[in-house]
Amino acid sequence: MSWLSKWLSKWLSKWLPNESPSWQWFYRLGSPRWFYLRSGQWLPWLSLAALLVLATGLVWGLAFAPEDAKQGNSFRIIYIHVPAAFLAQSGYFIMAIAGAIGLIWKMKMSFMVMKAAAPIGAVLTFIALFTGAVWGKPTWGAYWVWDARITSMLILLFLYAGVMALQYAYHSVDAASKASAILALVGTVNIPIINKSVDWWYTLHQPATIKLTSAPSMHMDMFMPLLVMIIGFYLFYAVALMLHTRNEILRRERKTSWVRELVNAKAGL
Amino acid sequence: MYFENFAALINMDGHGIYVWVSVAVTLATMLWLIVAPLISQRRLLKEVSRDIQRQQDRDLAAQKASNYEESH
Repeated sequence: MSWLSKWLSKWLSKWLPNESPSWQWFYRLGSPRWFYLRSGQWLPWLSLAALLVLATGLVWGLAFAPEDAKQGNSFRIIYIHVPAAFLAQSGYFIMAIAGAIGLIWKMKMSFMVMKAAAPIGAVLTFIALFTGAVWGKPTWGAYWVWDARITSMLILLFLYAGVMALQYAYHSVDAASKASAILALVGTVNIPIINKSVDWWYTLHQPATIKLTSAPSMHMDMFMPLLVMIIGFYLFYAVALMLHTRNEILRRERKTSWVRELVNAKAGL
Repeated sequence: MYFENFAALINMDGHGIYVWVSVAVTLATMLWLIVAPLISQRRLLKEVSRDIQRQQDRDLAAQKASNYEESH
């Protein structure tokens, strides 16, 4: 078995962060100062892109896409419901992976990203649940049903809330980060349950509109604005995550010389 | 546009209320995700500059005190 472990560690050291120059970006990303200064340069452009893409997708979906043969115009809620639900789940993965990186490489920057991702994910999950409830009324005749998809999304909201609460449950920042990261990682088991819930259990919720493995189950005229909205939500997520992470950096690094220099430079001293 | 006029777009055959409430709540909460960190960033930066000012005042006071002691 020793050859196996040897081969495995060799393979891992090639692909996981190591000292080679091609992995320098990983260590630079681990520097709060580098991230703060760089994200400050990226933010205006990213925000502009997010705004333009979201505006395009929203106008296209609400005013120009054809209406659904069965659901009429209420189906237009899909253009915010699906992207929000998408990002609520992607955001959970981002939070959990950031937590894992923090635990494995003891990277503080990664823990800051994890902490920043929690409230954003919670808000997106809330949007998915709220728009789903409003959509449910004209379509199913009820705002809320306790089916697998909706209940597992509610659990996602509680998981985000749990990660947020754990951040404040400890006096030590380090202990809080580790506990949150472990909760985030354990909670990932919920994500495949959300995805498969419409197939595994009988439900009112319609099956997935978009799958990575097959063509979308909707007409192109309806699908294109949805795709634009999903891209827009990803851009928005990046902007929100950067803004929240930058604040976390300021909060934790406020005593450092680089933050003071930055503030002095801004004040024109 | 898919709708004949602006009023039809707002009404959406009676579904308008559901669609527009969803859109309004979504946009409001998304806006909050952007505005809230911007406000707290301003507050944080102000706090840091206050810390710097306080440090400078303290240094200046210490300087004065030691000058006073030296001259007496």
